[in-house]
Amino acid sequence: MAVEEKTIEENSNWQKFWNGFKPYILALVIAFGISGAIIGILGYNIPKAYQTLLFTSFSSQRGFVETLKKFIPLTFATYAFAIPFRIKFFNIGGWGQMLFGGTITAIVGIGLAGLNLPAIIFIPILILSAMLAGALFALIAGFLKAYYNINPIISTIMLNFIAFYFVNFVATNAPWKAPQSGHPMTLKLPEAALLPKVFNQIHFGIVLVILAIIAIYYLMNKTVLGYEIKATGINPDASSVYGIKMKKTLMITFLIAGAMGGLGGGIEVMGVHSRLIEGFALTSGAQYGIFGILTALICQGKPLGVPLSAMFISILLVGADAMQRTLQVPVELVFLTQAIIVLMIVVLRRQAGGSYIE
Amino acid sequence: MDNKSEVKVLETKNISKSFGPVQALDKVNFDLNKAEIHGLLGENGAGKSTLMNVLYGLYKEDEGDIYLRGEKVDFNSPIDSIRNGIGMIHQSSTLVPEFTALENLILGTEGNKMTLELKEAEKKIKQLQDDFGLKFPLGTKVKDLPAGVKKKVEIIRAIYRGANILILDEPTTSLVEKEFEQLLKSLRKMVNNGVTIVFITHKIKEVLKACDRASVLTGGVMQGTVDTTNATKEDLVKLMFQNQEINITESAIPIIDVPEVEKSEKPVLSLNNLSAKSKEKDGTDLKSISFDIYGGEILGIAGISGNGQKELAEVIIDPNNITEGEIDLLGEKVNGLTTNKIFDRNVFYIPEDRKKESILGRGDIVNNVLLGHQREEKFQSNGIIKWKKVRDETQDVIKEYGVKTPDEKQQIGKLSGGNIQRVVIGRALINDLDLLVTHSPTAGLDMASVEFVFKRLVELRSEGTAVLYINEDLDELMEVSDRIGVIHEGKLIEIFNQDQYDKYEIGSKMIGG
Amino acid sequence: MKGSVDVGQLTEMLTQIISYTSIYALASLGIVIGGRTGVFNISGEGIMLASASAGFIAAYQTGSWFMGFVVGALMGGLFALILIYIHEKLKISQFILGITLVILGTGLSDLLYKTAIGVQLFAPEAPRVPDIRIPGLSNIPIISAIFNQDVIVYFTYIAVFIAFYIFYHTRIGLETRAIGEDPKAADVVGINVKLRRYVTTIIGGMFMGLAGAYLPLVVTGTYTTNISNGRGFMAIGIAIFASWRPERALLGSFIFAAIEVISFQQQLGASMFPYQFLLMLPFISVLLIMWLFNKKVEFPAALGKPYSRE
Repeated sequence: MAVEEKTIEENSNWQKFWNGFKPYILALVIAFGISGAIIGILGYNIPKAYQTLLFTSFSSQRGFVETLKKFIPLTFATYAFAIPFRIKFFNIGGWGQMLFGGTITAIVGIGLAGLNLPAIIFIPILILSAMLAGALFALIAGFLKAYYNINPIISTIMLNFIAFYFVNFVATNAPWKAPQSGHPMTLKLPEAALLPKVFNQIHFGIVLVILAIIAIYYLMNKTVLGYEIKATGINPDASSVYGIKMKKTLMITFLIAGAMGGLGGGIEVMGVHSRLIEGFALTSGAQYGIFGILTALICQGKPLGVPLSAMFISILLVGADAMQRTLQVPVELVFLTQAIIVLMIVVLRRQAGGSYIE
Repeated sequence: MDNKSEVKVLETKNISKSFGPVQALDKVNFDLNKAEIHGLLGENGAGKSTLMNVLYGLYKEDEGDIYLRGEKVDFNSPIDSIRNGIGMIHQSSTLVPEFTALENLILGTEGNKMTLELKEAEKKIKQLQDDFGLKFPLGTKVKDLPAGVKKKVEIIRAIYRGANILILDEPTTSLVEKEFEQLLKSLRKMVNNGVTIVFITHKIKEVLKACDRASVLTGGVMQGTVDTTNATKEDLVKLMFQNQEINITESAIPIIDVPEVEKSEKPVLSLNNLSAKSKEKDGTDLKSISFDIYGGEILGIAGISGNGQKELAEVIIDPNNITEGEIDLLGEKVNGLTTNKIFDRNVFYIPEDRKKESILGRGDIVNNVLLGHQREEKFQSNGIIKWKKVRDETQDVIKEYGVKTPDEKQQIGKLSGGNIQRVVIGRALINDLDLLVTHSPTAGLDMASVEFVFKRLVELRSEGTAVLYINEDLDELMEVSDRIGVIHEGKLIEIFNQDQYDKYEIGSKMIGG
Repeated sequence: MKGSVDVGQLTEMLTQIISYTSIYALASLGIVIGGRTGVFNISGEGIMLASASAGFIAAYQTGSWFMGFVVGALMGGLFALILIYIHEKLKISQFILGITLVILGTGLSDLLYKTAIGVQLFAPEAPRVPDIRIPGLSNIPIISAIFNQDVIVYFTYIAVFIAFYIFYHTRIGLETRAIGEDPKAADVVGINVKLRRYVTTIIGGMFMGLAGAYLPLVVTGTYTTNISNGRGFMAIGIAIFASWRPERALLGSFIFAAIEVISFQQQLGASMFPYQFLLMLPFISVLLIMWLFNKKVEFPAALGKPYSRE
């Protein structure tokens, strides 16, 4: 067996760092190269397009606030995908969980309007409702997988559509519907149900998202539950042999994921729109859920990687909106670019010996 | 045996092959005479299967040449080797379980691919079955055939495809003594028809019994070829283990001193008329199993793989699919408890498949040592893991069990099999145990590691622990077990005491005889 | 359905259901074919969107419906090629690649349309796909629904039959299924696992592409954003329900087409029940049917798993 001992590789820390980093840089270069070529072929000004895409977030205070406004729901949508992804299950339903969380928030908010609750009580109630709603909605998929072996990729997508029509139902029917509105939307939530602004700029959701980042990090790295989730992700068979039951872990990850998604949706309702409005969980023409998947795949769903890569995608999204507004470059191009970035990262990381195997 | 000719049927020159940084074969020269049974002997991990997979076109050699009947050949796929008359029977079945035996036999054969006309093939196959005495039903799905029969299917398949060089990789792992002898008869018939056979094994006595010549591989290096008619066990041991000081039996098992130990008065584990459903779709249900294990004894469980061994081990550490009967641990009924609760009662488990069921391959050693202990008070309070404590314990395991690793942060999957098993055993023995359940803990290990495992089992026994030792290898079981129970199709057929040990007798029970 | 339904209406509805069956059947057949060698291509939704867009553009620009389907199929084949190439080269999870390709297809579809056609006052219309009326049979009420359809519907039947025949009545099909069950077992008897995985995945992708092109060219007559509306995902459900058998996929497709068509028609008529719940019905049915049949479902044993010799 002496031969096998040679398998232990020892790299310097610097080299390890660079090897870990290289795929990302290469992926960005390739993806931006491709999108640059497309921008050129379509006859737009390439340098200007890039400048808009990358620097709009930093060119003004407004740009930065806009970026944070995307960062908040995106981070929640990313966790919704990232946590079940740790055990190799795909929760494509982050979007549906946002929708459902947001809808329940609106229903509870409008329902309790008569009680004149103070914000300090009202807001926590709504936050909990949003989390609970999202968690239970996601649990459907976890349950169907655990007990009926229904692939979550399919069940969560079906649930997305169900949630979408549910939003439409609530936003167009009494007692929630806003009178005389063309676009489906509900009544405004009472003032005490709305998230206050911090620094007069951005709503309280930014604090909630930071708390969520800390909580998820702590959960995954310090607790038995986090350990069991990670162990199951590495080897479900061995974990099961040693007492970590797949079904339970599976359902817990979907509960946490759903709570994150639901909270993200609730915050959009309470902090941004003040009401439920159809299309509230969309950005740059697509669902937050989809961007959440891309974001999570960029960082392999690592707890602290999530906010970093969510910030990066948020910057691109703000840039993409500006690019469409000022240069008429279709936003879908950025969408495409992001998909290529993810594809390249997955490929390059794997080539560098990373673990993107099934 | 008599019409050996001097023409080399097959010859390799300086074959080298590495997997990543691991050099599996190093400039190997190997040759076959026409119509001989040629043993390829070596301990686990010596490169035997790798060399044969190269000859079969499944692996591509990094360097070196292969000559077939004097002509240089270049195999890129099994189709190349099959067309050149080479057939290989791998250690684990390579038949499609969902297909019938007949469908498996014609898979990949030449002929009109746009029909599914099997009559003619069936006729030819039946003839071959008669010729070589290898009978089995052709219309049965392979998943319903016992392991020994699957071997027959694979041999007929190779012959049906015109193999005149037949490579058998550890064919005896799923065969009992009687079946092995029947197989030998069939192989001799083939040899008399001009077929050359390569017989891979790690057991010296099989080479002495079955082979005309034998080549010995150690650590990917060819040590030499001997004529077995004059060779003795000692000659082969010397070739196999070079300078190592190791005391082994003919079956290549380290000889261990098993001292007299006082058994406990009351049984540690009792199974009373236990029936349980398998957790797996095609698993074997357990039927009315009863036995006791006492402290200070090793109860061996023999059986052909897939007869309920895994289910037996798992129902003890996870007694939750029980349909009838009960399990008692130190006199208390434990039906329905969770694995963590069972482990709390000083029980631990070392599963069969190391990579698949024992370890978190991409995790570091620390995370692996915690596995199974994660809910113990020692390592957590209120759901928060005491990582410092876990790291200390890991360092102890590394030191005490001699794990060769740079540090505890090493990814466990990158360690050698022997070192992984040291971690796994260390983890199992963190707490003083009343019962250890272990399934083939020596599988795939080199001799030094096998010896290490055996010594630990015997030590545990001396400390008064009850050991349930499941192993498909009867030779290994007989070496260390106080008693051996035979399991067949989920039933415990009989328990043999040490003075009743007989390979034929136990073997025939293993196949339901 | 309310009161007495007249035969004419029923025939009309059935005609529509059978037309919609083609969407699901082509898409799920594509999944089935790849699945039989163990490649689980979940990117159907992305392929359908990209192929709908590319196929529509091609048909619109050339004036030929046929070119539309050719380009749609090629687009599907291209997506499948990306999937299988990366998977075979690097053994990256088919699911991760599939999801990424869904997103790629979603982005690509609108981008292609916007750049090739742009915003127009009136929605551009695709050239008509010719119908084939089988003389005699197409005049009998109800039955005529099957024999008075566009070319692609007939093509679908033929394709399903051929796939069924090849997989279950030929040696080449047996070998191909062996790969999906156990690629190692297939490899050691000399079957070219890699080649067949490429071929089935690409053919499968082409079928999904045809399903995508069918949407603008037959169902709606023009391209709209998100035109496949989840059907690519529902096709996965159908493939699972069908236990990866082509003929059962056709049956499953018919069931889902019926649910979709009926719930859509009811939504237009009824008011007693919130129509949103009727629109949810197809998606709920996927879950219900998978739940009801979960015990009977059989997967190719090696589905979704990478294979390498070493």
